[in-house]
Amino acid sequence: MIQKLIIDVAYHLNTSKNYQLKKLYFYNLLENNSYKYKKYVDLFMVTLIFISVVVLIREVKHHVNDYLLFFSNYIISIIFFIEYMLRLWLSSSVSEIIVEQAEHDTFLLREIRLSKALKKVLDIKLNHIFSFNAIIDLLAVLPFFHELRLLRIFILFRVFKLFRYAKSFRTLASVLASKKFEFLTLAMFAFIVIFVSSVLIYVMEGNNKNSPINTMYEAIYWSIVTISTVGYGDMIPVTSEGRFVAMLVIVAGVAVLAFTTSLVVSAFTEKLDEIKEIKIIEDISKLHKLYLVCGYENVAKEVVRKLLKNKDNNIIIIDKNIQNVVEAKREGLTALNYDPGSVDSYKKLNLDFKKQITSVLCLHENDVDNVYTALTLKSIDKNINILSLLVESSNRKKLKFAGIDTIVCPQELIGLITREIVGKPVAFEVIHELRSEDAHVKIDEIAVTQRIVDNFSTIGELGNEEYRIVVLGLFRNKQEHFYFNPLDNTLLEIGDYILVIGYRVFIKEFEKYLLTKVNNA
Amino acid sequence: MLKTTALIFGFNKYSLEIISNVDGKYRDIKIFSQNEENIQNDKYEIIHFDLSDEWEYIENNIDTENSVAFCVLEDMAKNIFLTISLRSHFEHLKIIAIASDKENANKLSMAGANKVVPLVETTSDIMANMIENPISNTVLHSILYEESNLKIAQIKIDDDSYFQDEKLSNIDWSRYNGIIVLSVMHEDMSSEFIYSSKARHHIIKSGDILVIVGYEEDIENFEKIIGSKRYVNWSDWSW
Repeated sequence: MIQKLIIDVAYHLNTSKNYQLKKLYFYNLLENNSYKYKKYVDLFMVTLIFISVVVLIREVKHHVNDYLLFFSNYIISIIFFIEYMLRLWLSSSVSEIIVEQAEHDTFLLREIRLSKALKKVLDIKLNHIFSFNAIIDLLAVLPFFHELRLLRIFILFRVFKLFRYAKSFRTLASVLASKKFEFLTLAMFAFIVIFVSSVLIYVMEGNNKNSPINTMYEAIYWSIVTISTVGYGDMIPVTSEGRFVAMLVIVAGVAVLAFTTSLVVSAFTEKLDEIKEIKIIEDISKLHKLYLVCGYENVAKEVVRKLLKNKDNNIIIIDKNIQNVVEAKREGLTALNYDPGSVDSYKKLNLDFKKQITSVLCLHENDVDNVYTALTLKSIDKNINILSLLVESSNRKKLKFAGIDTIVCPQELIGLITREIVGKPVAFEVIHELRSEDAHVKIDEIAVTQRIVDNFSTIGELGNEEYRIVVLGLFRNKQEHFYFNPLDNTLLEIGDYILVIGYRVFIKEFEKYLLTKVNNA
Repeated sequence: MLKTTALIFGFNKYSLEIISNVDGKYRDIKIFSQNEENIQNDKYEIIHFDLSDEWEYIENNIDTENSVAFCVLEDMAKNIFLTISLRSHFEHLKIIAIASDKENANKLSMAGANKVVPLVETTSDIMANMIENPISNTVLHSILYEESNLKIAQIKIDDDSYFQDEKLSNIDWSRYNGIIVLSVMHEDMSSEFIYSSKARHHIIKSGDILVIVGYEEDIENFEKIIGSKRYVNWSDWSW
């Protein structure tokens, strides 16, 4: 009967959208680093930790406000306890394990063994409970029982909780963990040296009345102070034998220190690239209006340079050629040595294609790579916008077939440009000048907003001539149609784009005037 | 007015593209290749050349003052050498050259090319424009390459032109429906945006060139009204 009830509840929870959404919400808040509100939760927890520590320090010599004490001992403990329980809840899905077991047994036409599922649940939960982080979390709750004076010191365990909230601590821990074996060897070596030297110094000095080292505890204290090369000088061996031991310990101490330093340095050196990469990926996840550039060769360099003139643009470069990546990094760009033709690369980048990527630029100077990259990207998200370089015009069909939205072929451009240079040299120069990034006169698009429509209902009201600006036309987004040289009585609509030609400075002024006229009125 | 001959140096994907685009605009197209294997081509008549050549063939058969040379060798060092060699022999020959990048473009200009098209910069300009200003890019592209009915034209002011001796800023362009005047090119060959201070005070003289945008019909009407014609005169062409 109870078994049936448990299985029913498990099925209910497992299929309940509401329950799953709530669980996901708490998971995001506590565990998902890319969730935008997690950092606020982390900040809140860190603040609580510091409040506890400040109260503990203040309490040593001063009276602390009762409310603050109550807050530190009870409220913070309760908040930490809630957090502990939430993490325990999130560590695994009980309902899912039970449902899985039930389905498995039903499929095999045998009685549902709930005990097996519960044992599995227990195993997973115990694993979580005995993990380092969970133990720290639990110890941080203990100051709740602050009447037991010893337990008050557990407030300091709250400081260890910082490991959870500060990424740099986690990075440090992971770097040091990569040298676990070496550190263990070093610890064993240091332990043996300390043990042997403590025993030796105790044997040599213990019975000498003039020696300050009279107990084994003092001998160990002296050994550690000496081996660490700190050497307070509050205890010094007085016998010749004792001094001989001291010399050995000092030499061993230098070795231990050097070994430790080199270990930490080598661990960081080895992991530095990885750490940087993790940091880059974390930073990327916060960016929007991204251009993903696949392949960093000659054309890519120029395109990136031009795009970066607009400060709103963010660019990530991925290239399988390490030299290209190094060059991009040297130029201060965000570049990763990933293969643009591998789905795995994009998984590692953890990008939300729909929300973050404006366009992907396949700029390998090799059509095979561009097609391969385009197909990889389209297999992840078929709606992603891809612009690609086409090296051999004979490959145009292949690029189109790969789903590339816009293709630019230098070879064909040469043909078109030559035709214009030959046919209309002056006109060509004028248009070329308008497109050029360094020209004073340029063509620009002004988006028609609600504010503009409120103040300027028709083209004729814009007053562009005062700003020495030519209105070339109006692009009506709704109809995707360009109206060249529109009549003065043409009505403006939100979403339209006005194409203007004029001096850069005047265009800026004109745009400002259009957008701020309300305030000036 | 057709220029007499197009001399295309190099037989590769770029030269083929140029041939297909300038075909019909020249009385004659001569293709030169360094590679002797290319000479046996069924479709085109190809002349062999090498960089040590004394250019006797051109000297004897081509009116170089009314011809254009396209230097499109893929090896940039050779292309520069070719340009400098042509310039040293033919002072008045118009030379258009392609460069792999800006650095080589500068060298080609120094070598005497009248117009250089840097491949990387041109391609990246187009790409960046496509991304940053997609609408204006499409419009400019369609105007320049006549993909729509919208056209860009050069109108040369003649002696008996309607605008002769009139101050540019006094002209009410709105009277000429459908036409937008973008710039004016003076006799000294410097192009000025129509709203620039210099252009506003400019008094239109015979020989000035107006760059206008409009639909074919409107351009024709404009030509009729002002009594000037679309014009391309190669002797005026200089960069």
